[in-house]
Amino acid sequence: MHVVVVGKLVPDLVEDLEVDASGRGLDRQFLKLVLNEFDEHALEEAVLLKEAHGARVTVLAPEAEGVDDALYTALAKGADRAMKLVGLGEAPSSRQIAAALASALPSLGFDLVLTGVQAADDLDGQVGMLLAGYLGLPHVGVVTGVELDPDGSRARVRKEYPGGWLAELEVQLPAVLGIQAAKQPPRYVPVSRVRQAMKEHTLEELSAEPVPVPRLSVRRLSKPEAAGRAEFLDGSPQEVAAQLVSILVERGLVR
Amino acid sequence: MLTPVERVAFVLLAAACVGWAAVGFLQVFRAIARGRGSLSTDRVLARAASALVAVLSHRTLLKTRRPWAVAHALILFTFTYYFLVNVVDALEGFSGFSTVGQGGVWGPFNLVADVLSVLALVGMTAFLVRRFVFRPRSFQFNPGVLLLPEVVRGIRRDSAVVGAFILLHVGSRWTGQAIRIARHGADPWQPLASLLGELLRPLPEGVLAVGEHVTWWLALGLILLFLPYFPRSKHIHLVFAPVNLTLGLPDPPGRLDTNSRDGTGAARLEDLPKRRILDAYACIMCNRCQDACPAHGVGKSLSPAALEINKRYYLNRHLASFSRGAESPALWEYAISTEALWACTTCAACVHICPVGNAPMLDIVEMRRELVGRGEVEDPNLQDALVKLAKYGNSFGRPERQRGQWTRSLPFPVKDARKEPVDVLWFVGDFASFDPRGQERSQALARLLHHAGVDFGILYEGERNSGNDVRRVGEEGLFEVLAEHNIRALDRARFRVVLTTDPHSLNALRNEYGSFGRSYPVVHYTELLLQLVREGKLQVRRPVGRKVTYHDPCYLARYNRVTEPPRQLLAAVGAELVEMPRNRENTFCCGAGGGRIWMTEQPGKERPSENRIREAAALGVDTFVVACPKDYAMYTDAVKSCGYEGRMVVRDIVELVEQAVGLQAEVAVG
Repeated sequence: MHVVVVGKLVPDLVEDLEVDASGRGLDRQFLKLVLNEFDEHALEEAVLLKEAHGARVTVLAPEAEGVDDALYTALAKGADRAMKLVGLGEAPSSRQIAAALASALPSLGFDLVLTGVQAADDLDGQVGMLLAGYLGLPHVGVVTGVELDPDGSRARVRKEYPGGWLAELEVQLPAVLGIQAAKQPPRYVPVSRVRQAMKEHTLEELSAEPVPVPRLSVRRLSKPEAAGRAEFLDGSPQEVAAQLVSILVERGLVR
Repeated sequence: MLTPVERVAFVLLAAACVGWAAVGFLQVFRAIARGRGSLSTDRVLARAASALVAVLSHRTLLKTRRPWAVAHALILFTFTYYFLVNVVDALEGFSGFSTVGQGGVWGPFNLVADVLSVLALVGMTAFLVRRFVFRPRSFQFNPGVLLLPEVVRGIRRDSAVVGAFILLHVGSRWTGQAIRIARHGADPWQPLASLLGELLRPLPEGVLAVGEHVTWWLALGLILLFLPYFPRSKHIHLVFAPVNLTLGLPDPPGRLDTNSRDGTGAARLEDLPKRRILDAYACIMCNRCQDACPAHGVGKSLSPAALEINKRYYLNRHLASFSRGAESPALWEYAISTEALWACTTCAACVHICPVGNAPMLDIVEMRRELVGRGEVEDPNLQDALVKLAKYGNSFGRPERQRGQWTRSLPFPVKDARKEPVDVLWFVGDFASFDPRGQERSQALARLLHHAGVDFGILYEGERNSGNDVRRVGEEGLFEVLAEHNIRALDRARFRVVLTTDPHSLNALRNEYGSFGRSYPVVHYTELLLQLVREGKLQVRRPVGRKVTYHDPCYLARYNRVTEPPRQLLAAVGAELVEMPRNRENTFCCGAGGGRIWMTEQPGKERPSENRIREAAALGVDTFVVACPKDYAMYTDAVKSCGYEGRMVVRDIVELVEQAVGLQAEVAVG
């Protein structure tokens, strides 16, 4: 059983994000990139599968500032191989990533591909679906838990629907799954193990040829503008009532 | 006096018992030797001398339970004197010579023995009555505390055996003297035994003659029989407690051992340092540590005493195989639960109170290192904090660039110590930088320093969490990353002295960074403020004039022995200090240390901070003064949860100083 986890780095939302001079992207000067939260869950689910079924886990991510740390951390958590997808340039689109993976993955050989269900910087959740489409494989998205059949031919996946419904689906392998949440929160990996992983492993590189794909362009990036405003009235019920009356009178709503 | 048969019997018994005991002691030494590292022997003579002073003075016992320390002294001094008495008695038995009624040196010899014997009998009886009649709470464990099944009955039986042995041994020797007095005439040097002798005199001579033999055997034969029991009994503390006191505690107390195996900690008994295995043999199971423990005090499943006791009972059961090298199970399977491991605040109260120099807290840190090394961090909040500390260098998960943001609302700029030399480099710390309540107190301190004309600066985003509590959580690797980062920043800065707000940072910078070959002069803000007041740079214009109590932070008072400057500062600003019963190095933890501040607190139970606030409330003061930003957060919460709002107010000492200097209006209670 070979599980491939596809991740990517996204801007850390904890930082003060600024729009750059062009007004169409984030100012990347002080941008800190971290592994996408859903990809953390995909990795956790893969490591859980490894622990339960002895699967091999390979982690793949497009190169970016900080990708080495993210990949070494993945190795420290239990991944067996870590690869950087190179040649796609800065901030490749989901379509570019999916196309590159579609040409690179078959040579690696895999039974299951796990991706985060979506990423903070595009929210379109397309990588898994497009990849499944390119490769002609089944795809399930918004998955919250994966179990494997003992013979490795099928996976049973859990998926939560709105309204409190839970479905269990059976999917023929190989397949591509978009992970919403792992069966348990992503584990903590001690720094000593990350350092050990840096000593024991080398990161591999997987070259991707940029494939011409349709692109979108951002016209404008900005913070949401406040639509309306609310005014809060303080004081005792009597005072609030008096204020309310005077406001209503002032605005001509009552006489 | 002895018959030839008795003489042969005694020699044979002595040989058998000494031989049997030797096997046991050898196994104990081998068991201890399985621990890692070596026992430090530098300055061993000086340390032995100080241990001797500690034993003779009972300094370590007198920290608490004073009447019982006195009872212990009576037994200890008698027992020590009895080494001499027993030798003389044995010679008497073999030679037929008797010291009874002899003058010269034997007079005072017997007088001391006579008085001490009775005192030891009184002391021992008091101990037995306490344990078996009054059954104090101190000898009971909280319901959730992990205990080996044989512990409760084992301690009871061992205590009964040891008590009975001492009563019989001392009582028989004393009664024997009384019989000799009854048979051979008065001895003014043994007034107490003479009283009993008078009572025995009417007995038939035959009975007295037999009695002399029986009491001799009960006194000396019993000692021999007791020797092989020693390695199984807590009474072996009389050997290992002085050894432990000689080996001493880590110095400085705030620097943890870095000599762990490959950076990981301890899972099993044999992974612990030798000293920590030795602790189990020095432990007399008095449970003083448990009484002092803030976690046990609020009903949690942590008992430092139970940890040592379980180690000991495990060794008792498996001593032969363990001493030969058999692998033991993980400590958290029998000695301390993982829940209890994570409940420790590393306040070091157990270490401070232990009369025999044990350090159960250090075992706990070793086990935490092991669990963290395996990635087994159960508490999701702790995990979250560690992830944030790794990513951003602070537990708040805030961007590095926001660390200095609290300075923006000040009416003057705060120097960037990375860019220009400063006299005082202020290492602000996470809580004082990011916690909104901490920020206000940091601003107050900055105003005071500015007012006093101190040339100070901070490292802004060059600063990271000091790593003090990260280390105590057991995340050695992350501690190193944080420490190395701070050291690089400090190396590049030019300053005379480091100032810290947080006593935890103070401990890391003053003690822990020594492992990286750095030693900085580090002062706490209470020390600096006191100096500024004394130099007249801060002038008290409006004395505080109210009764306050002061809470000593563990990492300031217990770890770094800074207890007087905050008190002198309070006096200088005109506050009248009313001490809580647990003060100075005997302070009670707020519950935040050792990474507890990042962990989930079980709802429904009293928190250590609430226990502390109730202690203060009983004094009738309305102001609870703290000198640590974590304390400020912990105790303002505790005042609310205890329902003391409006009656009790928490004040950082910096606020009182600011008020006294006249920079800030008086703050009302509530």
